[in-house]
Amino acid sequence: MTILPTLKSLTIAAAILASSSAIVLAKDVHISVWAGGTGPNDVYRLDAIEIAAQQLQREAALKGEDLKITVEKKPYSAWEDFKQALTLAAEAKTAPNIVVSGHEDIAPWSQAGLIVPIEDYVDLDSWPLSDIYENLLKIASYNGTVYGIPQDAESRPMFFWKPYMKAIGYSDADLDALPQSVQDGKYTMKNLLEDAKKMQDKGLVQPGYGFYPRTSNGPDYWQFYTSFGGTMEEGGKLVFDKAAMTRTYQFFADAVKSGVTKKNHIGMPGDQWWKEVATGKAGIWDGGTWHYARLVNQEGLKDFFGNVIFTLIPAGEGGKANTLTHPLVYLLTAGHDQEDTEIAAQLVKIASEPRTNALHAVKSAHLGISKSESTVDFYSADRWTREATERLLPHANAMPNNSDFGTYWNIMWKNLEASWTGAKTVDAAIGDAESELKSTLGDKIVIR
Amino acid sequence: MKSSRTLGLVMIAPASVMIVLFFLMPVVLTAVFSMTNMTTATGISGGVYQIAPNSLIALKSALPEIATEMAEPRYTIDEAGLKAVEGLGLAPGIAAELRAKHAGEVFPARRDVERMIKDLAERPSTREVKQISEQFNRSVLNTRFDSKEQLFSALDDLGFKLTPEQKETVAKITYTGWTWTTDNFSRMASSPDMARVLFNTVLYVALVLTLFNVGYALLLAIWTHYMPPTPASIFRGIWLLPRITPVVIYVLLWKWLAWDSGFISILMGKFGYPPKNYLLDTAYNAWFFVVLINGFIGASMGMLVFSSAMKAIPKSQFYASEVDGASRWQQIRYIILPQMRWPILFVTCYQTLSLLASFNEILLATNGGPGNATEVWALAAYHTALRNYAGNLEYGLGAAMALVLVVIGVMLSLVYLRVFNYGTLVAKPLIED
Repeated sequence: MTILPTLKSLTIAAAILASSSAIVLAKDVHISVWAGGTGPNDVYRLDAIEIAAQQLQREAALKGEDLKITVEKKPYSAWEDFKQALTLAAEAKTAPNIVVSGHEDIAPWSQAGLIVPIEDYVDLDSWPLSDIYENLLKIASYNGTVYGIPQDAESRPMFFWKPYMKAIGYSDADLDALPQSVQDGKYTMKNLLEDAKKMQDKGLVQPGYGFYPRTSNGPDYWQFYTSFGGTMEEGGKLVFDKAAMTRTYQFFADAVKSGVTKKNHIGMPGDQWWKEVATGKAGIWDGGTWHYARLVNQEGLKDFFGNVIFTLIPAGEGGKANTLTHPLVYLLTAGHDQEDTEIAAQLVKIASEPRTNALHAVKSAHLGISKSESTVDFYSADRWTREATERLLPHANAMPNNSDFGTYWNIMWKNLEASWTGAKTVDAAIGDAESELKSTLGDKIVIR
Repeated sequence: MKSSRTLGLVMIAPASVMIVLFFLMPVVLTAVFSMTNMTTATGISGGVYQIAPNSLIALKSALPEIATEMAEPRYTIDEAGLKAVEGLGLAPGIAAELRAKHAGEVFPARRDVERMIKDLAERPSTREVKQISEQFNRSVLNTRFDSKEQLFSALDDLGFKLTPEQKETVAKITYTGWTWTTDNFSRMASSPDMARVLFNTVLYVALVLTLFNVGYALLLAIWTHYMPPTPASIFRGIWLLPRITPVVIYVLLWKWLAWDSGFISILMGKFGYPPKNYLLDTAYNAWFFVVLINGFIGASMGMLVFSSAMKAIPKSQFYASEVDGASRWQQIRYIILPQMRWPILFVTCYQTLSLLASFNEILLATNGGPGNATEVWALAAYHTALRNYAGNLEYGLGAAMALVLVVIGVMLSLVYLRVFNYGTLVAKPLIED
């Protein structure tokens, strides 16, 4: 009679022991990662975390731990859907462990408590994080705290279709000198519109195809504002420079008026735009360094360097030649088990190693994040990444990390579109933008 | 009698729950949200108190001296911190070395103190370094406090001498969550863009309603009325296609028709016109297509209602009129239209409410463009509250915009109920008394 209960307790004890020892020995961790704006060339945003997981598992094994990490990857091709999904998931406490998003999200997301500072989990003084470009790490910070680790860098150049530039009178030597001439402020926005017009007048491109900018809202348009002397933020306060914004709006209104840009350009199908710039239907256009990968891999532009030349965004009146870097950053979301977040942070750290990050840089034609990445042969052997890094990155600005920047951006874009399409005059658009900024942001924005 | 009443209440209970959950609650929540400044940055569930460099900018103009003092991040190796480190259960040498070599030192930033900790003989792991540095944090900078009380006690602990009013000012400025406000409504009232969006909405509803949902639907019903039954059914079936085709595919077809490389461009190319995006070429074009796209979908419902209403007109009236030598037009004018008054009124009411709230076809076709020319109220509310390139979703303002639609919808419904004389329709039949 007494044997049975003893046996029972022994069995239970054995079971508990077995299960608890199993917990000690084997640890299964599930890490989910979401990435926005991710097309077929950007798979390493997610895959790098998987590569890192393998590395971390091996490191754990050497320490005698049986760590199993399952990485669940979710790419989003568009930005708006991704940001909506992420913010709502985070509010519902179902956010992924790691998010790859634009650095401008750090301000609102950290204020709302959706993300946690990565510097709480990693040693920024140790390699590879200590090697990341100082300015990129600054862009990934808010309120003096490092929230994210840059996942890539880029910049947004101006592209010119070489054969047409030659046809309107540029020699090979002139074209080789063009990037420098743009950088020195000798070739300006005014020259750009003139050249675009010449291309159309000569019948090289159809009307409206001389200058063929981005077809949707995006960070690119802040470059034009900078180009015309605008400042986005100063001393932690947003800045709306009326004169610079007027010149920016006027530039696009003039482009439409002179017929080099289509009035209906915004909102046109993206696929059509890609095909047209890849086949020489457009004369001059702006885009990101990552456009190289799409043009060459998906759109069939084989001889890129023979057909296209790229420069900084030329200076406009009152401003300087510039480009904008819009690094995506790895962010850790709040509300997870502390240990999982720590592992997620370790994965981000390992994924930032130069050779792993170079896979993304080369495949997607983004730029490297660290100094030693440019010494990785695989990276430096790639002509595009090498030339783009040298020519553009030193001149790159970034958008401010400010929780009210999104509101400013909306108002700026809405009125730019309205003045572009002629729905409002430039002056009316500036007036509307000013009054809406005043009523919406009050003293959080300096209007001058 | 009593038990049947109870039974009735029980029977209706599930429906009441559904009504409250899915009809009443969304409206109540929209009304609640509309009175807040809720955005992505403020979060939905509420905020915390955080003295961050960002909020210090605002604090500097209100309490300059205190703000400057608060801006100082300080990491002090003091006895309280050392005791706390001893309590962490780490290697004992760590606390001892800290006490011996670094007691009394003050570090301006976390990275500085952490570099010192990493240099200790028993080099702690990254996790331990973070734990240790936190014990010496003697600043309120960037710490998130869940409640005002926690913030105030932290300020007291650090020796800030603040009056209750000053404390409240600090709390107000450093609060990261949403607050109650009526600003959304004043923003709507003062914004020229909102006036434009309102005008667009009225234009959209009026055009689609008169030209298609009622006008063209009536025309279709009359045409099919005079057709032999089989072709009439086929014709009506074809007109139902836009309604039953998935909206994404349906709009994509329109886009293929109107894109630069689409059917119209190819056709016009034969006559020497360069290809262009007819859909977004001008505001007029965009409106033309928006009205057609929505109209072709909306016309079918009116057509069905009107057709069945016409079927209910006694055939004898048509025969008699033909004997009298009436023309088709006279039949329409004197027999059909007078008897279609109520169906027309019903379709007008119903479709006004549908059109006011509908935006998905416009979203897919023009996304409100070009230059916000086709941005209607419901689409603008959606863009504001749920779609934003910069990820800064303005839930409060979006809800306020949605609330305006709800109010307009309810008001119109009341007007329509009056027009339909709803009281008479639901009056008790005299026979029951």
